Amino acid sequence: MESLDPRVNRLNMKGFEGDLTRKVPLDQFGTFEVFVQMKEGKPYQHEGIVHAPNNEMAFVFAKEQFSRRMTCTGIFVVETRNVFVTQFTEGEDTVYNYVPDEFPQQGEKEQYEFFHLMKRGKQHEHVGAVEAKNPQEALALAKPAFINEKPVFNVWVIKTKDILFTSEEDKIIWDTLPEKKFREASDYKAGDKLKAFKENKAAQNQEK
Amino acid sequence: MNETALKELLYKVADDQLIIGHRNSEWTGMGPLLEEDIAFSSMAQDKVGQSQALYQLLHELGEKQPDTIAFTRNADQFHNCQLVELPNGEYDFSLIRHFLFDTAEAIRFDMLTTSSYTPLAQLAKKIQGELRYHTMHANTWIKQLGSATEESISRLQSSLDKALPYALGIFEPSPYEQELIAEGIFAGEEALKAKWTEKVTEVLSQTRLEIGDLSAIDPKFGGRQGKHTEHLQPLLDEMSEVFRIDPAAEW
Amino acid sequence: MYGGGNTFESVKFEGLENEDPQKLAEFEARIERGEKIEPHDWMPQLYRKQLIRMIEQHAHSEIIGALPEGTWITRAPGFKRKLALMAKVQDEVGHAQLLYSAAETLGKSREQMIDDLIEGKSKYSNIFNYPAFTWADSCFISWLVDAGAIVNQMANARGSYGPYCRALERICAEESFHLKYGHHCVIHMATGTPKQRQMMQEAIDRWWGPMMHFFGPPDKVSVHTEVLMRWKVKMASNDDCRNQFLDMYVPKIWELGLTIPDPNLRKNPETKKWEYTEPDWDEFKRVINGDGPCNKERLAVRRVAEERGKWVRQALLRPKTEYVTPLA
Ligand SMILES: [Fe+2]
Ligand SMILES: [Fe+2]
Ligand SMILES: [Fe+2]
Repeated sequence: MESLDPRVNRLNMKGFEGDLTRKVPLDQFGTFEVFVQMKEGKPYQHEGIVHAPNNEMAFVFAKEQFSRRMTCTGIFVVETRNVFVTQFTEGEDTVYNYVPDEFPQQGEKEQYEFFHLMKRGKQHEHVGAVEAKNPQEALALAKPAFINEKPVFNVWVIKTKDILFTSEEDKIIWDTLPEKKFREASDYKAGDKLKAFKENKAAQNQEK
Repeated sequence: MNETALKELLYKVADDQLIIGHRNSEWTGMGPLLEEDIAFSSMAQDKVGQSQALYQLLHELGEKQPDTIAFTRNADQFHNCQLVELPNGEYDFSLIRHFLFDTAEAIRFDMLTTSSYTPLAQLAKKIQGELRYHTMHANTWIKQLGSATEESISRLQSSLDKALPYALGIFEPSPYEQELIAEGIFAGEEALKAKWTEKVTEVLSQTRLEIGDLSAIDPKFGGRQGKHTEHLQPLLDEMSEVFRIDPAAEW
Repeated sequence: MYGGGNTFESVKFEGLENEDPQKLAEFEARIERGEKIEPHDWMPQLYRKQLIRMIEQHAHSEIIGALPEGTWITRAPGFKRKLALMAKVQDEVGHAQLLYSAAETLGKSREQMIDDLIEGKSKYSNIFNYPAFTWADSCFISWLVDAGAIVNQMANARGSYGPYCRALERICAEESFHLKYGHHCVIHMATGTPKQRQMMQEAIDRWWGPMMHFFGPPDKVSVHTEVLMRWKVKMASNDDCRNQFLDMYVPKIWELGLTIPDPNLRKNPETKKWEYTEPDWDEFKRVINGDGPCNKERLAVRRVAEERGKWVRQALLRPKTEYVTPLA
């Protein structure tokens, strides 16, 4: 097969062409949830997922899929299965109304990060952390602070140690982002060229 | 300042960045998994952007426009090392090359942050973050694949064996080594190579890959003097195919 | 990018009567109120199936769409174009990633979707089965095929499924770069040298037919489309999208002194609708069923990419990991 694409011609596809055997679906990795901070001081917001074998690779992938434009001051990643999810509520009903005051006693004291969903259809945002023996206790401990506030429709609770954060010294990886103008619409202005062309054409038409 | 020496340095570094960026961009849309496709493309963009910035420095020293320099020279006028012009091969080779090259690149620019030629020092400082990500990416992958399956280890090992002579070609001495060092423009290829060897060895020691005895390897020199493998001219012909239809046109 | 509202035609609409009527009523009321449906909400099987199908095809269109333009990545003329095209094609791969993720929240794994694509079981936008002969073709795609995709995507972004809408919001923001970049390229070609102008005109002549096909065959409103419209799965009719596209872009093509190869193309001043020669719908059917100029190559490239990447993914596997459906 001779392709118009020189890259395709270099693929040497010969041996592959007829190969229609079903791909073993073994390469389905776990997924990792990605949170992005746009500016220093702003909350980390959930942006999406990447497929990856571990935290480190998830971080490497997340950086270019979820922070290759505008500004970014940090991301973190956590494997989906390490996220504890509460039930969902609606209207004026906050999820904290359903957090029981009794909770299991087992577990070591550890830190848990909290993420709130404040509007249906929007993303979860990081709100803080508490120390607790398990996610249920963490929720019960957070309850007094939030139950009389704006309704929270869903909470994600994640062990701090399950999260891979951006280290201070790695924060420079976003330094030149604002200079990647070639990824922005604003770098492609051709109005003047178009205007000159049209004026020129109009002038030629008049001459005729 | 010795301008001839400075220009020679700028040309070889810029040409390295352009050619490796071009090669790596060939993977876009065909990578081994979606997320990696995206990450690899970003780094290729960084490199092409860095080469443009370096050609701009040359332009400010009286050389032609970056587009003209990049898109109209022939292979014998390019000073990149041969490592970067080799075809992509399979992903193992592309990754190994990325690891070997980017480790050197990151150290080189780190050294250049103290260059006595201020515009170059400024550029080197500015791109520290980009390079940090490139080496983070490379190291993460090499550690991962270098200790995963039998297949991944043996693939990486044979690509490493193939790439090493060319990687040593990165450090081909310039005719102006002494001048560059004396004037504080760049601390020299020997110093770079020493740091590179240390870093590469350190990363590989965390894998099941063997680097072997570097002093027993015959480095592939020549690239810095415009002597190239048969792969560079076709790459340049392809790169400039449209540009050369009319080099004066605005595309 | 995405195109072809044809994707709903061959669907079997069964089982709706087996759904719990009260839950169905609540579900419909939520959509009626303009709220989004989220992965954890109850939804009719049919809604789930249709969405998976639609989002999956959209994702395939992005990853396959990266190929015709990718053809020109290594040949883009000058730094500005080289960097832009690399970033643009990268975005398309990124769009595929986002869309596959959105579809995954409905319970189909990405592996499964990619398998279905490379085994030819799943469709993607027909327009990518045509070749990009010259640099001007890539300019046409970046500007006008993306423009068409934006018309579709903006409509779909008002749909009812939360994760799909959020992915589309991100995508549409990036598409504005694609559109501006593409227009910038075409302006430079059309106002450039005679040779550039000629290249651009030839590209338009080649691509106009596929572009008209892009929005899918003329509307046949069926009971099924009504359900899908009520559920805000299908957001706009094929003809409406096509008309909107013509309305926005034909004047922009004409102002560059370029011509469109359809003598009947005009806006009817009374109906305010565009009139045009019907494109060859037999060709459309032929191509979508596999007999286009590039179908084989596109799938073969995808298959090769998967095959060549297999050892990489295998080496990254952790057999003990259990795949969990992503959250949002
Ligand atoms: Fe597109
Ligand atoms: Fe897209
Ligand atoms: Fe696009």
